[in-house]
Amino acid sequence: MIPRFRALLRLSSLQASYTYERMQGVGIAVAEEPLLEPLRSEPERERAARSRSAQYFNAHPFLAGAAVGALARAELDGQPAERILRLRTALSGPLGALGDQLFWAGIVPAAMGLALIAVSRGAGIGVVALVVLGYNVLRVLVTWWGLRIGLAHGLQVAHAISASRLPAFAARAGGIAALIVGAAIPWVGAWLLRGTGQPVRATVLVIAGAFVLGLLTLRRPLSAPALTLGAAVLTLLWRWSSA
Amino acid sequence: MSPLPIASLLLWGTIAGLDLASLLQGLFNRPLVTGAVAGVIIGDPGAGLRIGAALELFALDVLPVGASRYPDYGAATVAAVALGAWQPWAAALGPAVLLGLLLAQLGGVTVVAHRRINAWALRRLAPELDRGDPGVANQLHLFGLGTDLLRSALLAGFGLGTVLLLFRSPRFDLSTGQALTVVAVTGGFVALISGALRRAGTARRIAWLAGGILLGVLGLAAL
Repeated sequence: MIPRFRALLRLSSLQASYTYERMQGVGIAVAEEPLLEPLRSEPERERAARSRSAQYFNAHPFLAGAAVGALARAELDGQPAERILRLRTALSGPLGALGDQLFWAGIVPAAMGLALIAVSRGAGIGVVALVVLGYNVLRVLVTWWGLRIGLAHGLQVAHAISASRLPAFAARAGGIAALIVGAAIPWVGAWLLRGTGQPVRATVLVIAGAFVLGLLTLRRPLSAPALTLGAAVLTLLWRWSSA
Repeated sequence: MSPLPIASLLLWGTIAGLDLASLLQGLFNRPLVTGAVAGVIIGDPGAGLRIGAALELFALDVLPVGASRYPDYGAATVAAVALGAWQPWAAALGPAVLLGLLLAQLGGVTVVAHRRINAWALRRLAPELDRGDPGVANQLHLFGLGTDLLRSALLAGFGLGTVLLLFRSPRFDLSTGQALTVVAVTGGFVALISGALRRAGTARRIAWLAGGILLGVLGLAAL
């Protein structure tokens, strides 16, 4: 198989060996390995490159392909070790921030918000499957793009990413996600509370109450699951005492 | 109620657990997706979608960033759907979601434990890894994948075992079940709204969120 396809495949399990010490370091080494095959004829260089590839690294898993490609390119081009290690450190934060903004705060909530709206309107599992399929195609395309841009630009990969459309799209993704999630709130509320006797009144009360609680916990975030479990225990005590 | 297809649910819970961080991260761990498939496996897709959607409200508050600790909703959702399927959902939704929340928190603890086990293996092989010995990184990686597979399977097994135990205990009466449903759904919206406001950060994004809610309300009123 072509080395860069093998690297892409290995990037899909990037975080399997995640630790708090080196974070994705070992995963990066595993993904980079096929790209270092041209160094086979120079065992010392290959060994040194392998040693560097497993050091600390942490970025967004879907954009880590850009780092893998760029680091492999730098190794193949025979860049000095300190420049390669500096590149590794320099890429970690920005690729993490960009990916978090794009995927975790943008595309994932938007995709799940759309699926929630569709399901609350009576759409079945087909819509959920479509969302999953679309998301995975996008995720693979972004990782592939990162790998290619990294291999093409090496040490200059950060400039190449800044010049692409990705940062602008990431900046807009959060707003779009907020709009979709906001639209999902009344739909999902009405759907989930149907059957509780007074769905409209219950929905309005629940969403208004959740808003107040959400605002109250905004500055001092309380864990919503803990709050819910606590309220459930109180409800059971109240039901038990009034039985 | 039809008997639970335990083996299929166990397999699906394990796949969903792996998807959390170790493999793909392709939305298979999202409660709505996990719940929908679990519902189909059990033969009650409606319950799978509703319970998955309610747990998704909580999951939307989670940012799985780097070293942060986050819950694992995969096996938790499978168990929640197994508990709530084939029952009047207005009363079953609450208890199922509450079980899912508890198991998801437990799942979060196991994620941390898995990372510590990875670190233990890394410390043992660090000299070879730092020397650049061939195959060491792959060995560590496969170890991590294998232990996460085991973690996910054990978590799914624990969740389904809990459901089988709960089936033997007395059920809540209808009004208590309904009250718990209201509590669970309200909690879900607290998570969703406070998470969305926190994440929105800027006034502009809060305006987007408010605009979305207005759109949703208008759409709901129109239909």
